[in-house]
Amino acid sequence: MSEPRVRMEQVSRRFGAVTALDELTLDIPPGELLTLLGPSGCGKTTLLRIIAGFERPSSGRIRIDGADVTSVPANRRPTNLVFQRPTLFPHLDVLGNVAFGMQVARVGKAEQRRKVAEALALVRLEGYERRRSHELSGGQMQRVALARALVNRPAVLLLDEPLSALDLKIRLEMEVELRRVHRETGATFVYVTHDQREAMALSDRIVVMDRGRVEQVGTPAEVYRRPSSVFAASFVGDANVLPVDVLEADATSALVGLGSHRRRVEARDAARGPAWLVLRPEAVRVAGAPADVGGDAPAGLVRDAAFRGTGFTYRIELTGLGVELKAETPPSSVHAVGDRVTVEWDASACWLLPRGGEDEAATPA
Amino acid sequence: MTARLRGGPLVLATPAAAGLLLFFVAPLAAFGVYSFLTGALYEVKPPFTLGNYEDVFAGNLNGKLARNSLVVGLLSATVCVAAALPMAYWLRYASGRRRTVALFLIVASFLASYLVRIYAWRSILGENGVINRALEGVGVISEPLGFLLYNRFAVTIALVHIFLSYVVLVLYAALAPLQASYLEVAQDLGAGRLQRWRRVVLPLVAAPALSAFLFVFVLSASDYVTPQFLGGTNGALLGLEVQVSFIGTGDYAYGAAIAFCMLASFVVCYALIALGLRLTRLDKVRFAT
Amino acid sequence: MSGGRRSPLAGTFTLVGLVFLWAPLALMALFSLHATASLSFPFEGFSTRWYAQVLDSPEVRSAARNSLIVASATAVGTLVLGTLAAYGLTRSRSRLRGPLTLLFFLPITLPGLFLGVAMLVGFRRAGLSLSLLTVTIAHLVYVFPFFFMVARAALARLDPALEEMAMDLGADRFTTFRRVTLPQVWPVLVGAACLAFALSFDEFVITFFVIGPDSTLPLYVWSSLRRTIDPSINAISTLLLLFTTLLFAITVLLASWGERRRKGRTAEAPLGLVPAAVERAG
Repeated sequence: MSEPRVRMEQVSRRFGAVTALDELTLDIPPGELLTLLGPSGCGKTTLLRIIAGFERPSSGRIRIDGADVTSVPANRRPTNLVFQRPTLFPHLDVLGNVAFGMQVARVGKAEQRRKVAEALALVRLEGYERRRSHELSGGQMQRVALARALVNRPAVLLLDEPLSALDLKIRLEMEVELRRVHRETGATFVYVTHDQREAMALSDRIVVMDRGRVEQVGTPAEVYRRPSSVFAASFVGDANVLPVDVLEADATSALVGLGSHRRRVEARDAARGPAWLVLRPEAVRVAGAPADVGGDAPAGLVRDAAFRGTGFTYRIELTGLGVELKAETPPSSVHAVGDRVTVEWDASACWLLPRGGEDEAATPA
Repeated sequence: MTARLRGGPLVLATPAAAGLLLFFVAPLAAFGVYSFLTGALYEVKPPFTLGNYEDVFAGNLNGKLARNSLVVGLLSATVCVAAALPMAYWLRYASGRRRTVALFLIVASFLASYLVRIYAWRSILGENGVINRALEGVGVISEPLGFLLYNRFAVTIALVHIFLSYVVLVLYAALAPLQASYLEVAQDLGAGRLQRWRRVVLPLVAAPALSAFLFVFVLSASDYVTPQFLGGTNGALLGLEVQVSFIGTGDYAYGAAIAFCMLASFVVCYALIALGLRLTRLDKVRFAT
Repeated sequence: MSGGRRSPLAGTFTLVGLVFLWAPLALMALFSLHATASLSFPFEGFSTRWYAQVLDSPEVRSAARNSLIVASATAVGTLVLGTLAAYGLTRSRSRLRGPLTLLFFLPITLPGLFLGVAMLVGFRRAGLSLSLLTVTIAHLVYVFPFFFMVARAALARLDPALEEMAMDLGADRFTTFRRVTLPQVWPVLVGAACLAFALSFDEFVITFFVIGPDSTLPLYVWSSLRRTIDPSINAISTLLLLFTTLLFAITVLLASWGERRRKGRTAEAPLGLVPAAVERAG
């Protein structure tokens, strides 16, 4: 296994009584686009700034390409940071901004110009050298900031919610650009965001964080389909998290009880007893009244119905269970508020998580 | 009551405008003309002449005064700006309590009256003043130092004391848009402390700093009270000569001529600075956010 | 070390700077309480005799009275003229705005020396003998740009929709000003007038040229500086400093109170218009 590009060993950061990061250990292989995902205050920005060198960990070590950089100041680390706001120097034009690092390092003028042209071509802003920041749009400024960070060929590119200050439409375009730039440069990106949709669209791997700890590390698909905790399940995408009891279990499946209903679901060596059933809204099928459908499907009352263009979103209160289910159905599944309906899902389309006494039931967003 | 303003709301500004035109612009114009007339006791008479200007440039006195004014002006302005920069920088990025206290102290010292400061420095720098007494008491010197007062040095110190708070506040305001993230970006791109100052902070405060520089220079060079009390013969400035012409000798035409020469040189300085800023494209630095 | 912003060097420098700024003033205040007439160390005990002497002196009292008169006249004059000018300028779209603004800021561009001599010439030409009136006029010219700057900013900050609403409800300009604009903005304006008062009270450089037989306090201090050398000057200076600081504190408090009040009252202001509309209809 080749040397990871970035290695964090037991990194902690404490601010007085508050622990922002708790013994965090993580390896980032070269060329990966890794996203730190979590709610505000989870420590993701702190971790990014520690990698960049703007914060010192209270304990632990950081290694970049094997070398211990924990006490190396920010201006001497092979990292570059793209901030949330473009932060372009207003007294310099685009050329001056992108070439800033090279000027500090006293690179020759001709080479500066060449590299700047390359970097601007990479972010599709060829010919913008003479523009000033107040002549650029928000998206263009952020692309210049990206070029400015990339032109120095850093070992690691750090991005701190770079798209959150942009309009939605520009944001979606920039996501495509970022993926392309990542592909074309093959650089290692560490990306921070609280937007799970963005995280899933961009990343090779996602690190889900909460309160200074790593909840789960995995590919977007893994984190989405096999969340390791209730927090991960409800933070990454919508989730219905239903309290169930595992009645029987074997190597490949389990029989769970949801109130008086029995369902068989796919599971690996599930433990008997209380559990959470994680069900994504798009996996839920809504059918007509119990009397018409028959069988043991849970029944409920439609409390809310919204048309999405690509289908419907229903909120269904399951009778006798005190649980509300969110369902996303195709346009053919039409129901009105107040209708009695039954809900169905495939055995393979759900996921079991252990339930201790302290977990709260998570309601869908 | 229905009152319509004829001519639009701007008409409300008429009294103020009229007052300023009458009591400021008109006298200024008359004053300009005075320099071309012949001076008599506390008034001027025809014929028109350039004699006053000849007198201004003749002789050694005005040359010496002009040199003094230039030196004192440049020195005060330089010291003010150079000292105010680190102070404004610290204020900008200091946190909470410390910043409030320091800011309050600076603004409060700004309020002290002009004469009060001159008086204070005269007491301090004199042969019986605090500095000499302290040095004698400690045993460093046996005779009081005479060179502290009644020269350009004393005038400069007092002028710096007068203008420093103002320059600090101007530069502090100029640094306001420079959020810490800009400095972090610069550091991230490899710039050490000195580089950050040279490449990020200084270019951004260049225009306000030079404007403050000019302000202190002009006001210092035309000051007449400070040299009167602290300058002695060696520290006399041109402004003093103007004052003496108008109040002392009563030669209005000559006084007006000196004043206009001073004004002309100030305009030249302003033009040079404005040109310099325009050429280096540092004149209009606008922050995008 | 976050972002390298902390600079102990700059911190030390600031400390030195603050000491430089305050030491002379503090020393001066200290010696105003000196028991003897000496102005340097060793310090020979505390006494308030100099304050008593100063406060009893008829010359000081008359000079102080004159300063108060001039400063009050200046403050009131500036308040009226400046508010009208600022209001007229911010509510107009005429092309004359630019040149007028330039005119209003012009006095600030000249050092006091030139202002003083120019106005002296002007008064002489007009045949006006020098007196407290000429001083007041000169102060008005000097102080006007400061007041105008504050007033213009304050009036520009107001939500124009409120005035438009008032006029839509039937109020004319004058009523609108009285019932909508003024209630929002008067604290800042009064604060700026306070500032004008302080500037006028302390003014020396221009006053020197245009004053007649009556003295103002700064003029008195100046002539004292030429004659006496005893702590009575320290006493006057300290009193002046305290007085100006007090005025400035009032200005700041009024301005910030006014801003907080305005921000919280924007919903209530239109309610004052209902009586105005009724007035007009009835």
